[in-house]
Amino acid sequence: MAGSVRAAIRSARDRALARRPRLRPRSPRTARLLALLAVLGPGLIAANAGNDAGGIATYASVGAKYGYDLLWMMVLITISLIVVQEMAARMGAVTGKGLAELIREQYGVRWSTFSTVSVLVANLGICISEFVGVGAALSLAGIPKYVSVPVAGVVVWSLVVRGSYRSAERIFVLMALPFFAYPVAAILAHPHWGTVATSTVAPHVELNSGYLFLFVATAGTTITPFMQLYLQSAVVERGIGPDELPGERAEVVVGSVFANLVAAFIIIATGATLYVHGDRSVSSAADAAKALAPFAGRYAEVLFAVGLLGASLLAAAILPVTAAYVVAETFGFEKGVSRRPREAPVFVAVVTVLILIGMTVAMIPGLPVIGLLVAVQVVNGVLLPITLFFLWRLASNRELMGRYANGRAFSFLAAATVFVTSGLSILLLAVTAAGL
Amino acid sequence: MTAVAPPVLHLSLIVGGELWSEDGGKVGRVDDLIVRLGEDGYPPVTGLLASVAGRQVFVPADSISRIDQGRVTLAAARLDLRPFERRPQEVLLRKDVLDRQLINIDGARLVRSNDIELARLDGWYRVVGVDVGLRGFARRLLPRSLAGGVKESSFLDWASVEPFTGHVPTVRLRIPHPRLARLHPAQLADLVEAASHSEGGEIIDAVGVDPELEADLFTELEAGHQAEFLEERSDEEVAALLALMEADDAADLVRELPDERRERIVEELPRVQNRRVRALLGFDPATAGGLMSPEFVCVYAQASVAEALERVRRDPGPPDSLAWVFVMSSHKRLIGAITLPDLLRADPELPVGDVAAVPQRVRPDADLEEVARLMTDYDLTVVAVTDPEGRLVGVITVDDVLELVLPRGWRRRFGVLGDD
Repeated sequence: MAGSVRAAIRSARDRALARRPRLRPRSPRTARLLALLAVLGPGLIAANAGNDAGGIATYASVGAKYGYDLLWMMVLITISLIVVQEMAARMGAVTGKGLAELIREQYGVRWSTFSTVSVLVANLGICISEFVGVGAALSLAGIPKYVSVPVAGVVVWSLVVRGSYRSAERIFVLMALPFFAYPVAAILAHPHWGTVATSTVAPHVELNSGYLFLFVATAGTTITPFMQLYLQSAVVERGIGPDELPGERAEVVVGSVFANLVAAFIIIATGATLYVHGDRSVSSAADAAKALAPFAGRYAEVLFAVGLLGASLLAAAILPVTAAYVVAETFGFEKGVSRRPREAPVFVAVVTVLILIGMTVAMIPGLPVIGLLVAVQVVNGVLLPITLFFLWRLASNRELMGRYANGRAFSFLAAATVFVTSGLSILLLAVTAAGL
Repeated sequence: MTAVAPPVLHLSLIVGGELWSEDGGKVGRVDDLIVRLGEDGYPPVTGLLASVAGRQVFVPADSISRIDQGRVTLAAARLDLRPFERRPQEVLLRKDVLDRQLINIDGARLVRSNDIELARLDGWYRVVGVDVGLRGFARRLLPRSLAGGVKESSFLDWASVEPFTGHVPTVRLRIPHPRLARLHPAQLADLVEAASHSEGGEIIDAVGVDPELEADLFTELEAGHQAEFLEERSDEEVAALLALMEADDAADLVRELPDERRERIVEELPRVQNRRVRALLGFDPATAGGLMSPEFVCVYAQASVAEALERVRRDPGPPDSLAWVFVMSSHKRLIGAITLPDLLRADPELPVGDVAAVPQRVRPDADLEEVARLMTDYDLTVVAVTDPEGRLVGVITVDDVLELVLPRGWRRRFGVLGDD
């Protein structure tokens, strides 16, 4: 009897030791790699999670349909993204509270329920699109979505609910490293760099619903509510205080610029090939990857697909977590306090339901993928102003933020971002409703 | 969970209700209730804020005759219009307490107040509890006409919660220390980690009344939060805190300090702690030398069992490191070890050397795996660490090892964004 107990203890110990990172000095190379990964903070992760399945699809179709005509917009969107993400990071660092928590404390139950419901709707849509992205990326490798999607769902679920999310996050970011492939793909596509440069600085506006639609979808996919919610909660969780704000700001800027450079290169890659050759119907990332192959080579297709897979998994993990945090903060369910997940049923329930619905919808046979992805981006574009409005008002609140509140110039910039995106959303709704 | 006899009033239904004058006419709308904290028992209502003809006015408690849900009746026909000024120890229930986090002391967790419950007790209206359930939430969400239909749920008695008041400008209340002292330092540390920075600061301030407890709390905090709260303290304050910790925990914390502060802080430590911490800092934290504690009892083999027991009795060290008594030769080499129960059972007259067994030991450079294996294979709770000459330099207790070998998932905070 005692022997078997001891054997059990020993096997548990062996398992524990096997899983624990070794405390002996690591080889210099792995040490350096780990140091690099440790630098990947919330600012970088949040911005790059935005280049998810829906994002890649949107950028690819922007390039295929309008060539470089919308590149100038990426400059504006980058600035807006920096403004918005900086506010979220600053609020997290100064107040030590999540965005949903602050909305609840400052605006009460009704407003916070409203914003939470809108975030849940938006997140559910994106969650579906991430699983669609996973299915599409792996179908390029010949794996049917009925296999890849459930496997991805189970992997993401177990990482989020049972495993160590922090290390999973890093693996996913590593998988998104093929993002660097997009510049390569763009170069392989031999764009006319002169035109690219002039399109970036010279605005080009068309007033038709197709153009407007993609305009709002691009804004909606680049600046997504979950990115701000995630960033602020992550800043809080990592205990980043006001004194570490300069570093966090730098990371927000670098992350936003990097993410949008990648987006711009996707537009350039498809603009230089599909647009030029008159193939303008592409609307999903996998389509884009396939369509790119004849012009930019088979490698471009593979790189595109791997980037899509990593980005979709990263976002598929972050989204349910963000949603669970928002629900916990809004409704006052306890979070933290070292409770294991099974002691926090609400958290597990939200994560499970989101992943389950995302998976199931993504597997529906004959799903109109393209229409769905774009619709999701539009829903996000329309709901975005709600989150942005609270973000702007809270970050300007002197009572809450003290000397870290928005200055006058910054507040103006933030207000402009909020009102322009809101205006665009309303315009889009009106245009769609009028059936133009 | 209390049975309060008088009817319970919900803050959510009082605020936003009508303000009536004594003769039954509506004069305004109730915006917020003011209560005074800082005394024992249930906090009394000391006034209210109301909107009267587009202006916000303060109504002191003595002008209020009745508080009902949906209607507050004044004691006078005329209202003395005074602007509101915050008085010490007063909080606005809706603005400062509702929707915010509180400590549920009995449950050792943070809760969010969905509604606040009042009742007429001892002749006046007082806060009696906090609703943290879904009913309170629903009452706030529904339109007023339906909200009254939401039955009251069981709520937390005010006696078992403690609000954070750091965000209220005029309240400089400290959370009463005796209430927090009921919690285990590990629970307190969990609360600090779950709360925002300023809320965590309030908990630490409250605990600071008892420096020993504060040191225990800091020991339990994870490294990131230790750094967060030590940043604001002077070198002397940090040293005073470290002086009260066990040497190995203090050394661990010193390792987390920024390089430029480390030397200055260790310099400030009292002599004994300074020596111990410095000795421990010389070792790699991932080895036996870094894990060990220099606190142990070691006696010469010639000493009697009774003398050895006397040494244990007088030793101020932590109980877990005293579970074993070590025996050394006249050359100070470690030659034996005996558990405290065995020592108690032994003949008090015998020399300890005769009753002690040959101890398991590791060198200071042994790694964690070796230590963990040794402990499991020999069922040890304490392992001796000896230098190359065979002298005992420290002991590793099972808790220090367990902390490191625990699988990551077991230790994880429920926040998925939290630390591994």
